[in-house]
Amino acid sequence: MLILLAILAVGAFYLRVLTRRVFFQPAPEHGEEVARTRLSEAALQSATSPQQSATLYFPSFEQGVLREEKRSVAWAEADTDRMRQVLLALIEGSRQGYSRPLPTSTGIRAVFLAPDGTAFLDISNQAIPDVDPGIASECLVVYSIVNSLAANIPAVKKVKILVQGQEVDTLNGHADLSGYFVPDPARISLAP
Amino acid sequence: MNPLTRLFRRFAWPSRVLTLASLIGLALLFWPARALRSDNFVFYLPTTRSVIALEVIEQNKYLPLIPVLNVVGKVEALQEKRDSLKIWFGKTQIELRVDDKKVQVNKARLNLAQPVRRPKGQWLVPVDFLTTVLPRLTSETIEYQVGTNRIFIGDVKPISFTVRLDQTANGARVTVQFTDKVTIHTAASNGKWYLFLGTRPVEPLEQTFRFQDPYISEIRFDDQDGSPKLILTPAVGGLNFYPTLAEGGKILLADVLKPPPPAPQPPASEQPLTATAPPTVPPPAPGVEEVPGAQAEPPLPVVVLDAAHGGADVGAHGRDGVLEKDLVAQLVARVRAALLATRRYRVVLTRVGDVNLAFEQRETAANLHRPRAFLSFHAGNLGMVTPRVVVYSYQAPSPPTSADSQQPRQLLIPWTQVYRVHLEQSRQLAQALQEKFALLSQVATDKPHEAPVRGLRSIDAPAVAIEVGTLTPDVDSGALTDSNFQQQIANAVAAALEAWRGGTS
Repeated sequence: MLILLAILAVGAFYLRVLTRRVFFQPAPEHGEEVARTRLSEAALQSATSPQQSATLYFPSFEQGVLREEKRSVAWAEADTDRMRQVLLALIEGSRQGYSRPLPTSTGIRAVFLAPDGTAFLDISNQAIPDVDPGIASECLVVYSIVNSLAANIPAVKKVKILVQGQEVDTLNGHADLSGYFVPDPARISLAP
Repeated sequence: MNPLTRLFRRFAWPSRVLTLASLIGLALLFWPARALRSDNFVFYLPTTRSVIALEVIEQNKYLPLIPVLNVVGKVEALQEKRDSLKIWFGKTQIELRVDDKKVQVNKARLNLAQPVRRPKGQWLVPVDFLTTVLPRLTSETIEYQVGTNRIFIGDVKPISFTVRLDQTANGARVTVQFTDKVTIHTAASNGKWYLFLGTRPVEPLEQTFRFQDPYISEIRFDDQDGSPKLILTPAVGGLNFYPTLAEGGKILLADVLKPPPPAPQPPASEQPLTATAPPTVPPPAPGVEEVPGAQAEPPLPVVVLDAAHGGADVGAHGRDGVLEKDLVAQLVARVRAALLATRRYRVVLTRVGDVNLAFEQRETAANLHRPRAFLSFHAGNLGMVTPRVVVYSYQAPSPPTSADSQQPRQLLIPWTQVYRVHLEQSRQLAQALQEKFALLSQVATDKPHEAPVRGLRSIDAPAVAIEVGTLTPDVDSGALTDSNFQQQIANAVAAALEAWRGGTS
C-alpha cells in the first residue's frame, strides 16, 4: 500500500513538472533569428575602441514621438559596421522603457553606404508581420531607424529601407517605403 | 316558392356575398402583416448561381434555411418537431428552435442577430446566418458584404466597376470602368436602358449612382434575377443611347444624345430609341463646346471613402479580437450615411465587402471620380489613451529640395508625386477635420500630422488618413466599436467637410 502511494506521489509530481513544461514555459521566440542577432552583436562588440556615447531614438507610442536615449558603445571602425551596431541596439530595445522599434526576429541581411550618403538597409521579411501595423506606429519605426543612423554616423544623409533584398511598397501596410528617408528631427521630443 | 322569397333570394344573396367579401377585405387590410415585401438573394458559386427569395419580417431580412443549405451542400436528413428542427448536413448537425436566436452547430452554440422564424411551415433564418453559421458548414471561402443581397462562395472572383458621367456638346457620356473584361447586350423597357453585363459575377462599389444631370438621372446596378446589369434612367424622354465597349471590354462608353434637329428629308422612324450601333455622328470631345442645359444644377461633388485593409490583410487587431479591416468598414459605413444625409455629396467607396484591394486599385477607383476629397480610415496603436483620433496628410520621405522647386512646372506629373498638387488643400482638410474632432467629448485628439502614408501618395485630390486608436493586442477595443463613438466621428467628418468646403469655395 505504501509503495502504491509512493508511486502515485512520484507520478503526480512528474505530471506537475510536465504540465509546467508544456503549458507555462515560454516557447523560444524565433530562436534562429535571436541567435543570429546575438552573434552579430557579439562580433561587433569585440571592437576594441574605447566606449563612446551613442544616441538612439526609440518610439513612444503614447506621445507619438521619438525619445532620445544615450548609451555607451565601443564603435567599430567602418561606417557600415557602425550602422549594424545602431540597428542591433534598436533591436535590443530601450533600457528606459520606451517601445522597441524592430522586433527581435529582425534579421539584418545587409547594410551598404553609397558615396552620396545614401544608406541602404536590407532587413529580413520575417520581422515584418511583427511590426505594429498602423500609420503612427510604422512611421515612428521608420524614423527611429533613420534618425538613429543619421545621429551616430555623420556620413548617412538619407536611408533606403529594403525588405528581403527588394524594394517594397510599405513597411506593414502603411508607411510608404518607396522613397529615401531623410532624418526628421521634428519627430523627436526631448521633453520628459 | 312564393314570389316574396324569390325576390329576397334575388337581391339579398348577392348583397350577403358583397358584405362578406368586404369584411374579408377589411380583415386582410388591417391584419398585422409580417412579410412586407420580398426581394431575391443571389448566391454566386464558381460554376453556378442560385437565386433565393428573401423574406422581410419586421424589417429584418430572412432566408429560407433548407434552400440555402442545399446551395452550399446537401441536407442529408432532417427531423422536425413542433417547434424545433434538427438537420444533418454532411458531418455537421444543426439544431434550431422557432423564435430563438440560438443555433446549435455540433457542440458550438451560436447566436443570430434575429430569432429563427417558421411562417407557414417554412424555416427562415436571418441573413446574418450567412456570416455566423455558414462559415462553419463549408470550407469554401465566403465573401459577403453586410447589407447587400449577394454572396460569393468558393473561388469566385467578382469584377467591380466605377462610373463617371461627363457632359458632352449635345448630351452626356457615361464611362464605366470595369476591373475585368465584360460583354454587354442592351435592351430598353419602361423608358429605361438595360445593359446586361455577361455572365461574370459583379460586386458593385456602389449600388446606385444618382446625378443632377439633364440627361441621366440614375444608374443602378441590379442582379436580383441572377443576371448582373446596369439600369440607366434618363432624365427626360426622347434621348438616344449609344453604348460601345473599349479597351477590349474593360471600359463601357455610353453616349446619351439629344435627337438631332428634324432634317427636311429623313423620316423620324429611322431615329433609333435604343441602338447598339455606334452613333452616326460621333460626339465631340468632352469640354470642347458649350455645356448644354446651362440652367441645370452641376453634379454633386464626390467624396471617396477608403476603408483600409480587407480580405487576408486584416490590419491591426485588438485584445478582444476586433480586426482593423472590420472596424474601419463599420466606420466608413457610418461616415457614408452621414455624408449622404447632407445631400451635398456623392459618396464612392474604394472597398465594398471583405476584399483585399491593392493600393493601385483604390487609387484608380478614387481618381476616376475626380473627387473633392479622399478620406482613408485606419486603426492602430496610438498609445494607452483611447479612443483617440489622429489625422494625417501626406509627407514625402524626402522633402523637396531647393533644386526641385526651381525646376520648371511639369506638364505631366508622375502618379507617385500627384499628392504634390493637392498638398496645401490636404493640410487644410486635415486641419478642418482635427478642429471638429477636438470638439468631441471623451475623444482625445492631436494636431494634424504629416506622414508618408502610402495610401495617400497617388490620390489626385485633397487626401487625408484618419487613424483611430488604440487597436493593439494589449488593449480592448470596446471604445472604438462603441456606436456612439463611431457616430460622433461620422458626424464630425460631415461637419468638417462642410466647413472645409465653405472655406475653399
